[in-house]
Amino acid sequence: MVGLSLGETHFIQGGIAQDLRCDGRKRLTYRPISVETGVIPQTNGSARVRMGATDVIASVKAELGKPSLLQPDKGKVSIYVDCSSTAEPAFEGRGGDELAAELSNALQRCLLGGKSGAGAGIDLSSLIVVEGKICWDLYIDGLVVSSDGNLLDALGAAIKAALSNTGIPRVQVAAGTSNDEHPEVDVSDEEFLQFDTSRVPVIVTLTKVGRHYIVDATSEEESQMSSAVSISVNRQGHICGITKRGGVGLDPSIILDMISVAKHVSEQLINKLDSEIASAEAEEES
Amino acid sequence: MEYVSPEGLRLDGRRPMEMRQIRAEIGAVSKADGSAIFEMGNTKVIAAVYGPREVQNRSQQISSHALVRCEYCMANFSTGDRMRKSKGDRRSTEISLVIRQTMEACILTHLLPRSQIDIYVQVLQADGGTRSACINAATLALADAGIPMRDLVTSCSAGYLNSTPLLDLNYVEDSAGGPDVTLGILPKLDKVTLLQMDSKLPIDILENVMQLAIEGCKAIANYIREILLANTKQLEYRRGV
Repeated sequence: MVGLSLGETHFIQGGIAQDLRCDGRKRLTYRPISVETGVIPQTNGSARVRMGATDVIASVKAELGKPSLLQPDKGKVSIYVDCSSTAEPAFEGRGGDELAAELSNALQRCLLGGKSGAGAGIDLSSLIVVEGKICWDLYIDGLVVSSDGNLLDALGAAIKAALSNTGIPRVQVAAGTSNDEHPEVDVSDEEFLQFDTSRVPVIVTLTKVGRHYIVDATSEEESQMSSAVSISVNRQGHICGITKRGGVGLDPSIILDMISVAKHVSEQLINKLDSEIASAEAEEES
Repeated sequence: MEYVSPEGLRLDGRRPMEMRQIRAEIGAVSKADGSAIFEMGNTKVIAAVYGPREVQNRSQQISSHALVRCEYCMANFSTGDRMRKSKGDRRSTEISLVIRQTMEACILTHLLPRSQIDIYVQVLQADGGTRSACINAATLALADAGIPMRDLVTSCSAGYLNSTPLLDLNYVEDSAGGPDVTLGILPKLDKVTLLQMDSKLPIDILENVMQLAIEGCKAIANYIREILLANTKQLEYRRGV
Protein backbone atom coordinates (compact mmCIF):
# COMPACT_ATOMS: atom_id res chain seq x y z
CA MET A 1 0.00 0.00 0.00
CA VAL A 2 1.26 3.44 -0.85
CA GLY A 3 1.90 5.60 2.19
CA LEU A 4 -0.47 8.39 3.09
CA SER A 5 0.45 12.04 2.78
CA LEU A 6 0.45 14.41 5.72
CA GLY A 7 -2.78 16.00 4.53
CA GLU A 8 -4.49 12.63 4.31
CA THR A 9 -3.24 11.76 7.77
CA HIS A 10 -4.69 14.92 9.25
CA PHE A 11 -7.93 14.39 7.37
CA ILE A 12 -8.39 10.89 8.78
CA GLN A 13 -7.53 11.88 12.33
CA GLY A 14 -9.63 15.03 12.16
CA GLY A 15 -12.56 13.07 10.82
CA ILE A 16 -12.35 10.56 13.65
CA ALA A 17 -12.19 13.40 16.17
CA GLN A 18 -15.37 14.79 14.59
CA ASP A 19 -17.05 11.35 14.67
CA LEU A 20 -17.24 11.30 10.88
CA ARG A 21 -14.93 8.89 9.11
CA CYS A 22 -13.79 8.89 5.47
CA ASP A 23 -16.58 6.52 4.43
CA GLY A 24 -19.21 8.37 6.45
CA ARG A 25 -19.34 6.00 9.40
CA LYS A 26 -19.39 6.93 13.05
CA ARG A 27 -16.67 5.77 15.40
CA LEU A 28 -18.54 2.69 16.64
CA THR A 29 -20.16 1.54 13.39
CA TYR A 30 -19.19 -1.54 11.40
CA ARG A 31 -18.98 -1.72 7.65
CA PRO A 32 -21.66 -3.85 5.93
CA ILE A 33 -21.15 -7.52 6.78
CA SER A 34 -22.19 -10.31 4.46
CA VAL A 35 -21.95 -14.02 5.29
CA GLU A 36 -21.96 -16.99 2.95
CA THR A 37 -21.83 -20.58 4.22
CA GLY A 38 -20.93 -23.84 2.56
CA VAL A 39 -18.50 -22.23 0.13
CA ILE A 40 -16.03 -25.16 0.24
CA PRO A 41 -18.11 -28.34 -0.08
CA GLN A 42 -15.19 -30.69 0.58
CA THR A 43 -14.83 -29.47 4.16
CA ASN A 44 -17.03 -30.34 7.10
CA GLY A 45 -18.00 -26.69 7.43
CA SER A 46 -17.03 -23.45 5.73
CA ALA A 47 -18.00 -19.82 5.51
CA ARG A 48 -17.00 -16.65 3.77
CA VAL A 49 -17.35 -13.27 5.44
CA ARG A 50 -16.99 -9.86 3.83
CA MET A 51 -16.59 -6.68 5.87
CA GLY A 52 -16.41 -3.91 3.35
CA ALA A 53 -13.42 -4.81 1.19
CA THR A 54 -12.04 -7.31 3.70
CA ASP A 55 -12.80 -10.85 2.55
CA VAL A 56 -11.93 -13.98 4.53
CA ILE A 57 -12.75 -17.68 4.26
CA ALA A 58 -12.86 -20.05 7.21
CA SER A 59 -13.20 -23.81 7.06
CA VAL A 60 -13.48 -26.63 9.56
CA LYS A 61 -12.15 -30.12 8.97
CA ALA A 62 -12.76 -32.96 11.39
CA GLU A 63 -10.43 -35.93 11.67
CA LEU A 64 -10.36 -38.82 14.10
CA GLY A 65 -7.33 -38.70 16.37
CA LYS A 66 -6.06 -39.50 19.81
CA PRO A 67 -6.94 -37.30 22.78
CA SER A 68 -4.29 -35.40 24.66
CA LEU A 69 -2.87 -37.15 27.71
CA LEU A 70 -3.67 -34.13 29.84
CA GLN A 71 -7.35 -34.13 28.88
CA PRO A 72 -8.34 -37.66 27.83
CA ASP A 73 -12.04 -36.76 28.00
CA LYS A 74 -11.85 -33.84 25.54
CA GLY A 75 -11.38 -33.45 21.81
CA LYS A 76 -8.85 -31.11 20.25
CA VAL A 77 -9.27 -27.90 18.28
CA SER A 78 -6.56 -25.91 16.52
CA ILE A 79 -6.69 -22.70 14.51
CA TYR A 80 -4.43 -21.77 11.62
CA VAL A 81 -4.48 -18.62 9.50
CA ASP A 82 -3.00 -18.16 6.06
CA CYS A 83 -2.57 -14.83 4.30
CA SER A 84 -3.03 -15.35 0.58
CA SER A 85 -0.88 -13.34 -1.79
CA THR A 86 -4.05 -12.31 -3.61
CA ALA A 87 -4.80 -10.00 -0.68
CA GLU A 88 -1.55 -8.08 -0.80
CA PRO A 89 1.64 -8.42 -2.89
CA ALA A 90 3.61 -8.06 0.34
CA PHE A 91 2.25 -11.46 1.42
CA GLU A 92 4.18 -13.16 -1.38
CA GLY A 93 6.36 -16.06 -0.30
CA ARG A 94 6.85 -15.82 3.45
CA GLY A 95 5.72 -12.21 3.63
CA GLY A 96 2.39 -13.07 5.21
CA ASP A 97 3.75 -15.51 7.80
CA GLU A 98 4.28 -12.97 10.56
CA LEU A 99 0.79 -11.51 10.31
CA ALA A 100 -0.71 -15.00 9.94
CA ALA A 101 1.03 -16.17 13.12
CA GLU A 102 -0.12 -13.08 15.00
CA LEU A 103 -3.70 -13.60 13.83
CA SER A 104 -3.83 -17.31 14.65
CA ASN A 105 -2.39 -16.76 18.12
CA ALA A 106 -4.91 -14.01 18.80
CA LEU A 107 -7.76 -16.17 17.54
CA GLN A 108 -6.57 -19.11 19.61
CA ARG A 109 -6.55 -16.91 22.69
CA CYS A 110 -9.92 -15.31 21.99
CA LEU A 111 -11.89 -18.34 20.85
CA LEU A 112 -10.39 -21.44 22.42
CA GLY A 113 -9.77 -20.31 25.96
CA GLY A 114 -7.00 -21.66 28.12
CA LYS A 115 -5.18 -24.97 28.14
CA SER A 116 -7.82 -26.50 30.38
CA GLY A 117 -10.43 -26.00 27.68
CA ALA A 118 -12.64 -24.03 30.05
CA GLY A 119 -14.25 -21.06 28.37
CA ALA A 120 -13.89 -22.48 24.90
CA GLY A 121 -16.75 -21.68 22.56
CA ILE A 122 -17.14 -25.36 21.71
CA ASP A 123 -17.99 -28.06 24.21
CA LEU A 124 -14.86 -30.17 23.79
CA SER A 125 -16.43 -33.10 25.62
CA SER A 126 -18.86 -33.53 22.75
CA LEU A 127 -15.87 -34.33 20.52
CA ILE A 128 -14.95 -37.47 22.45
CA VAL A 129 -15.68 -40.84 20.83
CA VAL A 130 -13.84 -43.22 23.15
CA GLU A 131 -12.33 -41.64 26.25
CA GLY A 132 -8.56 -41.74 26.19
CA LYS A 133 -8.46 -43.45 22.78
CA ILE A 134 -10.42 -41.73 20.00
CA CYS A 135 -11.64 -38.19 19.62
CA TRP A 136 -12.44 -35.71 16.90
CA ASP A 137 -9.68 -33.28 15.98
CA LEU A 138 -11.06 -30.04 14.58
CA TYR A 139 -8.79 -28.07 12.28
CA ILE A 140 -10.02 -24.54 11.74
CA ASP A 141 -8.31 -22.81 8.82
CA GLY A 142 -8.68 -19.14 8.05
CA LEU A 143 -7.67 -17.70 4.70
CA VAL A 144 -7.38 -13.97 4.04
CA VAL A 145 -8.44 -13.38 0.44
CA SER A 146 -8.74 -9.59 0.47
CA SER A 147 -7.34 -7.33 3.15
CA ASP A 148 -8.70 -3.89 4.00
CA GLY A 149 -8.26 -3.72 7.73
CA ASN A 150 -9.89 -5.42 10.71
CA LEU A 151 -8.88 -8.95 9.79
CA LEU A 152 -9.31 -10.26 13.32
CA ASP A 153 -13.01 -9.41 13.60
CA ALA A 154 -13.69 -10.78 10.12
CA LEU A 155 -11.85 -14.02 10.88
CA GLY A 156 -13.66 -14.39 14.20
CA ALA A 157 -17.01 -13.93 12.47
CA ALA A 158 -16.07 -16.36 9.69
CA ILE A 159 -15.01 -19.03 12.18
CA LYS A 160 -18.28 -18.63 14.07
CA ALA A 161 -20.21 -18.99 10.80
CA ALA A 162 -18.11 -21.98 9.72
CA LEU A 163 -18.78 -23.73 13.02
CA SER A 164 -22.51 -23.14 12.52
CA ASN A 165 -22.16 -24.78 9.12
CA THR A 166 -20.16 -27.74 10.44
CA GLY A 167 -21.55 -31.25 10.33
CA ILE A 168 -19.58 -34.00 12.05
CA PRO A 169 -20.33 -37.62 11.13
CA ARG A 170 -21.85 -39.77 13.83
CA VAL A 171 -19.48 -42.48 14.99
CA GLN A 172 -20.53 -45.94 16.18
CA VAL A 173 -18.09 -47.94 18.26
CA ALA A 174 -18.00 -51.70 17.67
CA ALA A 175 -19.48 -53.40 20.70
CA GLY A 176 -17.43 -56.56 20.72
CA THR A 177 -14.07 -54.93 21.30
CA SER A 178 -12.28 -55.51 24.56
CA ASN A 179 -11.19 -52.53 26.59
CA ASP A 180 -7.45 -52.64 26.10
CA GLU A 181 -7.45 -52.95 22.32
CA HIS A 182 -7.78 -50.13 19.85
CA PRO A 183 -11.51 -49.77 19.24
CA GLU A 184 -13.01 -50.20 15.82
CA VAL A 185 -15.23 -47.35 14.72
CA ASP A 186 -17.83 -47.02 12.02
CA VAL A 187 -18.16 -43.49 10.63
CA SER A 188 -21.64 -42.80 9.33
CA ASP A 189 -22.21 -41.34 5.87
CA GLU A 190 -25.76 -40.27 6.65
CA GLU A 191 -26.00 -38.88 10.17
CA PHE A 192 -24.30 -35.66 11.20
CA LEU A 193 -24.01 -33.82 14.48
CA GLN A 194 -24.11 -30.07 14.57
CA PHE A 195 -22.59 -27.69 17.08
CA ASP A 196 -24.36 -25.40 19.41
CA THR A 197 -22.59 -22.17 18.49
CA SER A 198 -24.54 -19.88 20.80
CA ARG A 199 -21.53 -19.76 23.11
CA VAL A 200 -18.96 -18.97 20.42
CA PRO A 201 -17.81 -15.39 21.05
CA VAL A 202 -17.33 -12.60 18.55
CA ILE A 203 -14.24 -10.41 18.44
CA VAL A 204 -14.49 -6.65 18.60
CA THR A 205 -11.33 -4.69 17.85
CA LEU A 206 -11.05 -1.13 19.10
CA THR A 207 -8.33 0.84 17.35
CA LYS A 208 -6.93 3.98 18.96
CA VAL A 209 -6.35 6.84 16.54
CA GLY A 210 -5.39 10.17 18.03
CA ARG A 211 -7.35 10.59 21.24
CA HIS A 212 -10.32 8.41 20.22
CA TYR A 213 -10.90 4.77 19.43
CA ILE A 214 -12.93 3.28 16.61
CA VAL A 215 -14.30 -0.13 15.65
CA ASP A 216 -13.76 -1.85 12.31
CA ALA A 217 -10.79 0.20 11.17
CA THR A 218 -9.93 0.23 7.48
CA SER A 219 -6.33 -0.26 6.43
CA GLU A 220 -5.84 3.51 6.10
CA GLU A 221 -7.14 4.02 9.62
CA GLU A 222 -5.02 1.14 10.86
CA SER A 223 -1.94 2.83 9.44
CA GLN A 224 -2.71 5.77 11.77
CA MET A 225 -3.31 3.70 14.89
CA SER A 226 -1.21 3.92 18.02
CA SER A 227 -2.60 0.70 19.49
CA ALA A 228 -5.53 -1.68 19.19
CA VAL A 229 -7.34 -3.84 21.71
CA SER A 230 -9.29 -6.91 20.56
CA ILE A 231 -11.88 -8.23 22.98
CA SER A 232 -13.91 -11.37 22.44
CA VAL A 233 -17.36 -11.31 24.02
CA ASN A 234 -19.97 -14.04 24.00
CA ARG A 235 -23.74 -13.75 24.03
CA GLN A 236 -23.88 -13.83 27.83
CA GLY A 237 -21.68 -10.75 27.96
CA HIS A 238 -18.65 -12.59 29.31
CA ILE A 239 -15.18 -11.57 28.20
CA CYS A 240 -13.46 -14.61 26.68
CA GLY A 241 -10.10 -13.13 25.69
CA ILE A 242 -8.23 -9.88 25.22
CA THR A 243 -5.33 -9.05 22.93
CA LYS A 244 -3.54 -5.75 22.64
CA ARG A 245 -1.48 -4.82 19.58
CA GLY A 246 0.69 -1.81 18.88
CA GLY A 247 3.60 -0.61 20.93
CA VAL A 248 2.16 2.55 22.49
CA GLY A 249 1.00 2.22 26.07
CA LEU A 250 -2.60 2.77 27.10
CA ASP A 251 -4.02 4.26 30.26
CA PRO A 252 -5.71 1.52 32.35
CA SER A 253 -8.92 3.51 32.66
CA ILE A 254 -9.10 3.78 28.88
CA ILE A 255 -8.73 0.02 28.59
CA LEU A 256 -11.61 -0.56 31.00
CA ASP A 257 -13.64 1.94 29.03
CA MET A 258 -12.80 0.08 25.83
CA ILE A 259 -13.92 -3.20 27.34
CA SER A 260 -17.33 -1.86 28.32
CA VAL A 261 -17.75 -0.25 24.89
CA ALA A 262 -16.76 -3.52 23.22
CA LYS A 263 -19.32 -5.36 25.30
CA HIS A 264 -21.99 -2.94 24.16
CA VAL A 265 -20.96 -3.05 20.49
CA SER A 266 -20.79 -6.84 20.53
CA GLU A 267 -24.50 -7.13 21.30
CA GLN A 268 -25.41 -5.56 17.96
CA LEU A 269 -22.65 -7.48 16.21
CA ILE A 270 -23.79 -10.83 17.61
CA ASN A 271 -27.41 -10.19 16.65
CA LYS A 272 -26.43 -9.02 13.18
CA LEU A 273 -24.09 -11.96 12.71
CA ASP A 274 -26.57 -14.56 13.97
CA SER A 275 -29.27 -13.31 11.61
CA GLU A 276 -26.80 -13.28 8.71
CA ILE A 277 -25.68 -16.82 9.51
CA ALA A 278 -29.27 -18.03 9.80
CA SER A 279 -30.22 -16.53 6.44
CA ALA A 280 -27.03 -17.87 4.83
CA GLU A 281 -27.79 -21.37 6.10
CA ALA A 282 -31.39 -21.10 4.92
CA GLU A 283 -30.22 -19.91 1.51
CA GLU A 284 -27.76 -22.78 1.26
CA GLU A 285 -30.43 -25.38 2.02
CA SER A 286 -32.77 -24.10 -0.68
CA MET B 1 -12.43 -50.28 -11.40
CA GLU B 2 -14.83 -49.11 -14.05
CA TYR B 3 -14.72 -45.41 -14.91
CA VAL B 4 -17.03 -45.46 -17.92
CA SER B 5 -20.18 -47.51 -17.67
CA PRO B 6 -21.41 -49.59 -20.63
CA GLU B 7 -24.09 -46.95 -21.19
CA GLY B 8 -21.31 -44.40 -21.73
CA LEU B 9 -21.66 -42.51 -18.46
CA ARG B 10 -18.83 -41.53 -16.14
CA LEU B 11 -18.75 -41.82 -12.38
CA ASP B 12 -20.31 -38.38 -11.94
CA GLY B 13 -22.86 -38.92 -14.68
CA ARG B 14 -21.11 -37.07 -17.47
CA ARG B 15 -20.62 -38.24 -21.01
CA PRO B 16 -16.99 -38.82 -22.08
CA MET B 17 -16.84 -35.52 -23.96
CA GLU B 18 -18.75 -33.46 -21.44
CA MET B 19 -17.17 -30.79 -19.28
CA ARG B 20 -17.89 -30.13 -15.65
CA GLN B 21 -19.95 -27.09 -14.83
CA ILE B 22 -17.95 -23.89 -15.32
CA ARG B 23 -18.58 -20.73 -13.38
CA ALA B 24 -16.59 -17.52 -13.27
CA GLU B 25 -16.80 -14.26 -11.39
CA ILE B 26 -14.83 -11.09 -12.07
CA GLY B 27 -13.62 -8.66 -9.46
CA ALA B 28 -13.44 -10.91 -6.41
CA VAL B 29 -10.56 -9.00 -4.77
CA SER B 30 -11.33 -5.31 -4.72
CA LYS B 31 -7.83 -4.09 -3.94
CA ALA B 32 -6.23 -5.97 -6.81
CA ASP B 33 -5.94 -4.37 -10.24
CA GLY B 34 -7.67 -7.41 -11.68
CA SER B 35 -9.14 -10.51 -10.07
CA ALA B 36 -11.37 -13.44 -10.85
CA ILE B 37 -12.79 -16.61 -9.38
CA PHE B 38 -12.96 -19.64 -11.65
CA GLU B 39 -14.77 -22.89 -10.88
CA MET B 40 -14.61 -26.13 -12.83
CA GLY B 41 -16.94 -28.48 -11.03
CA ASN B 42 -15.58 -28.73 -7.51
CA THR B 43 -12.26 -27.11 -8.36
CA LYS B 44 -12.32 -23.51 -7.20
CA VAL B 45 -9.53 -21.01 -7.85
CA ILE B 46 -9.11 -17.31 -7.14
CA ALA B 47 -6.58 -15.20 -9.05
CA ALA B 48 -5.41 -11.63 -8.50
CA VAL B 49 -3.23 -9.43 -10.71
CA TYR B 50 -1.21 -6.48 -9.47
CA GLY B 51 0.40 -4.29 -12.06
CA PRO B 52 1.82 -3.15 -14.32
CA ARG B 53 3.83 -1.45 -11.61
CA GLU B 54 7.38 -0.55 -10.71
CA VAL B 55 9.78 -3.46 -10.48
CA GLN B 56 10.35 -4.32 -6.82
CA ASN B 57 13.73 -5.98 -7.27
CA ARG B 58 15.83 -3.74 -9.48
CA SER B 59 18.15 -6.54 -10.56
CA GLN B 60 15.24 -8.33 -12.24
CA GLN B 61 14.20 -5.33 -14.33
CA ILE B 62 14.15 -5.82 -18.09
CA SER B 63 14.59 -2.73 -20.22
CA SER B 64 12.68 -3.92 -23.28
CA HIS B 65 9.62 -5.61 -21.82
CA ALA B 66 7.63 -6.36 -18.70
CA LEU B 67 8.66 -8.82 -16.02
CA VAL B 68 5.90 -11.34 -15.33
CA ARG B 69 5.91 -13.11 -11.97
CA CYS B 70 3.53 -15.69 -10.63
CA GLU B 71 2.88 -17.38 -7.32
CA TYR B 72 0.63 -20.41 -6.93
CA CYS B 73 -0.64 -21.48 -3.53
CA MET B 74 -3.05 -24.11 -2.25
CA ALA B 75 -5.14 -23.47 0.85
CA ASN B 76 -4.71 -25.96 3.68
CA PHE B 77 -8.32 -27.01 3.39
CA SER B 78 -8.41 -27.32 -0.39
CA THR B 79 -7.85 -31.07 -0.65
CA GLY B 80 -9.90 -33.97 0.64
CA ASP B 81 -7.32 -34.72 3.31
CA ARG B 82 -6.12 -31.65 5.09
CA MET B 83 -2.51 -30.78 4.46
CA ARG B 84 -0.11 -28.39 6.09
CA LYS B 85 2.22 -27.25 3.36
CA SER B 86 4.29 -24.12 3.22
CA LYS B 87 4.62 -22.01 0.12
CA GLY B 88 7.37 -22.90 -2.28
CA ASP B 89 7.18 -26.68 -2.26
CA ARG B 90 8.24 -28.41 -5.44
CA ARG B 91 4.80 -28.82 -6.97
CA SER B 92 3.82 -25.21 -6.29
CA THR B 93 7.06 -23.96 -7.81
CA GLU B 94 6.53 -26.05 -10.92
CA ILE B 95 2.95 -24.90 -11.39
CA SER B 96 3.94 -21.28 -10.76
CA LEU B 97 6.50 -21.60 -13.53
CA VAL B 98 3.99 -23.20 -15.89
CA ILE B 99 1.45 -20.45 -15.30
CA ARG B 100 4.08 -17.74 -15.68
CA GLN B 101 5.36 -19.09 -18.98
CA THR B 102 1.86 -19.56 -20.32
CA MET B 103 0.73 -16.05 -19.40
CA GLU B 104 4.02 -14.55 -20.59
CA ALA B 105 3.35 -15.95 -24.05
CA CYS B 106 0.07 -14.08 -24.37
CA ILE B 107 0.79 -10.77 -22.60
CA LEU B 108 2.15 -8.07 -24.90
CA THR B 109 5.12 -7.48 -22.64
CA HIS B 110 6.96 -5.25 -25.11
CA LEU B 111 4.30 -2.59 -24.59
CA LEU B 112 5.17 -2.31 -20.89
CA PRO B 113 8.96 -2.04 -20.63
CA ARG B 114 10.70 -1.86 -17.24
CA SER B 115 7.51 -2.83 -15.39
CA GLN B 116 6.35 -5.78 -13.35
CA ILE B 117 3.12 -7.78 -13.51
CA ASP B 118 2.35 -10.02 -10.53
CA ILE B 119 -0.13 -12.88 -10.83
CA TYR B 120 -1.23 -14.57 -7.61
CA VAL B 121 -3.30 -17.73 -7.81
CA GLN B 122 -4.90 -19.33 -4.77
CA VAL B 123 -6.62 -22.71 -4.89
CA LEU B 124 -9.65 -22.79 -2.61
CA GLN B 125 -10.75 -26.30 -3.50
CA ALA B 126 -9.01 -28.93 -5.60
CA ASP B 127 -10.85 -31.67 -7.45
CA GLY B 128 -8.70 -32.35 -10.48
CA GLY B 129 -7.76 -30.02 -13.31
CA THR B 130 -6.27 -27.53 -10.90
CA ARG B 131 -3.65 -26.05 -13.15
CA SER B 132 -6.16 -25.66 -15.98
CA ALA B 133 -8.48 -23.76 -13.66
CA CYS B 134 -5.54 -21.63 -12.49
CA ILE B 135 -4.65 -20.65 -16.04
CA ASN B 136 -8.26 -19.80 -16.84
CA ALA B 137 -8.57 -17.74 -13.66
CA ALA B 138 -5.31 -15.91 -14.41
CA THR B 139 -6.52 -15.10 -17.92
CA LEU B 140 -9.73 -13.60 -16.57
CA ALA B 141 -7.82 -11.63 -13.94
CA LEU B 142 -5.42 -10.22 -16.54
CA ALA B 143 -8.33 -9.17 -18.73
CA ASP B 144 -10.01 -7.56 -15.72
CA ALA B 145 -6.78 -5.65 -15.05
CA GLY B 146 -6.81 -4.30 -18.60
CA ILE B 147 -3.43 -5.75 -19.50
CA PRO B 148 -2.95 -5.97 -23.29
CA MET B 149 -2.98 -9.58 -24.48
CA ARG B 150 -2.66 -11.28 -27.84
CA ASP B 151 -5.47 -13.65 -27.05
CA LEU B 152 -7.15 -15.29 -24.10
CA VAL B 153 -5.27 -18.36 -22.91
CA THR B 154 -7.57 -21.18 -21.96
CA SER B 155 -6.63 -24.55 -20.61
CA CYS B 156 -8.30 -27.90 -20.27
CA SER B 157 -7.30 -31.43 -19.39
CA ALA B 158 -8.20 -34.72 -21.02
CA GLY B 159 -7.46 -38.34 -20.29
CA TYR B 160 -7.86 -41.88 -21.50
CA LEU B 161 -9.51 -44.54 -19.36
CA ASN B 162 -11.29 -47.80 -20.16
CA SER B 163 -10.32 -47.35 -23.82
CA THR B 164 -12.24 -44.09 -23.93
CA PRO B 165 -10.92 -40.53 -24.28
CA LEU B 166 -12.34 -38.40 -21.46
CA LEU B 167 -12.60 -34.63 -21.30
CA ASP B 168 -11.95 -32.60 -18.15
CA LEU B 169 -10.88 -35.21 -15.61
CA ASN B 170 -12.02 -34.93 -12.04
CA TYR B 171 -9.97 -36.06 -9.05
CA VAL B 172 -11.06 -39.70 -9.08
CA GLU B 173 -10.33 -40.05 -12.78
CA ASP B 174 -7.05 -38.20 -12.34
CA SER B 175 -6.00 -40.64 -9.63
CA ALA B 176 -6.88 -43.67 -11.70
CA GLY B 177 -3.37 -43.92 -13.08
CA GLY B 178 -4.24 -43.37 -16.71
CA PRO B 179 -2.69 -40.75 -18.96
CA ASP B 180 -3.47 -37.13 -18.27
CA VAL B 181 -3.02 -34.44 -20.91
CA THR B 182 -3.12 -30.78 -19.91
CA LEU B 183 -3.36 -28.38 -22.81
CA GLY B 184 -3.36 -24.59 -23.06
CA ILE B 185 -4.17 -22.81 -26.29
CA LEU B 186 -4.69 -19.37 -27.74
CA PRO B 187 -8.06 -20.12 -29.33
CA LYS B 188 -8.23 -17.37 -31.95
CA LEU B 189 -4.62 -17.72 -33.02
CA ASP B 190 -4.98 -21.51 -32.80
CA LYS B 191 -1.60 -21.95 -31.12
CA VAL B 192 -0.66 -24.30 -28.30
CA THR B 193 1.10 -22.54 -25.42
CA LEU B 194 1.08 -25.36 -22.88
CA LEU B 195 1.21 -29.11 -23.27
CA GLN B 196 1.90 -31.58 -20.50
CA MET B 197 1.31 -35.31 -20.45
CA ASP B 198 2.13 -38.10 -18.08
CA SER B 199 1.86 -41.90 -18.28
CA LYS B 200 1.93 -43.91 -21.51
CA LEU B 201 -0.21 -43.33 -24.57
CA PRO B 202 0.02 -44.50 -28.20
CA ILE B 203 0.59 -41.60 -30.54
CA ASP B 204 -2.60 -42.04 -32.55
CA ILE B 205 -4.67 -41.99 -29.37
CA LEU B 206 -2.68 -38.98 -28.19
CA GLU B 207 -3.91 -37.11 -31.24
CA ASN B 208 -7.51 -37.94 -30.34
CA VAL B 209 -7.06 -36.92 -26.72
CA MET B 210 -5.33 -33.69 -27.71
CA GLN B 211 -8.10 -32.87 -30.13
CA LEU B 212 -10.62 -33.44 -27.37
CA ALA B 213 -8.73 -31.11 -25.04
CA ILE B 214 -8.58 -28.46 -27.78
CA GLU B 215 -12.36 -28.60 -28.12
CA GLY B 216 -12.64 -28.18 -24.37
CA CYS B 217 -10.33 -25.16 -24.44
CA LYS B 218 -12.41 -23.52 -27.14
CA ALA B 219 -15.59 -24.10 -25.18
CA ILE B 220 -13.99 -22.44 -22.15
CA ALA B 221 -12.83 -19.56 -24.34
CA ASN B 222 -16.39 -18.96 -25.51
CA TYR B 223 -17.60 -18.93 -21.93
CA ILE B 224 -14.85 -16.55 -20.80
CA ARG B 225 -15.62 -14.22 -23.68
CA GLU B 226 -19.26 -14.15 -22.61
CA ILE B 227 -18.27 -13.27 -19.05
CA LEU B 228 -15.99 -10.46 -20.19
CA LEU B 229 -18.61 -9.12 -22.58
CA ALA B 230 -21.25 -9.07 -19.85
CA ASN B 231 -18.79 -7.31 -17.56
CA THR B 232 -18.03 -4.71 -20.21
CA LYS B 233 -21.72 -4.07 -20.79
CA GLN B 234 -22.15 -3.60 -17.07
CA LEU B 235 -19.33 -1.05 -17.00
CA GLU B 236 -20.78 0.69 -20.04
CA TYR B 237 -24.17 0.88 -18.33
CA ARG B 238 -22.64 2.37 -15.21
CA ARG B 239 -20.76 4.97 -17.20
CA GLY B 240 -23.98 5.97 -18.89
CA VAL B 241 -22.72 5.61 -22.44
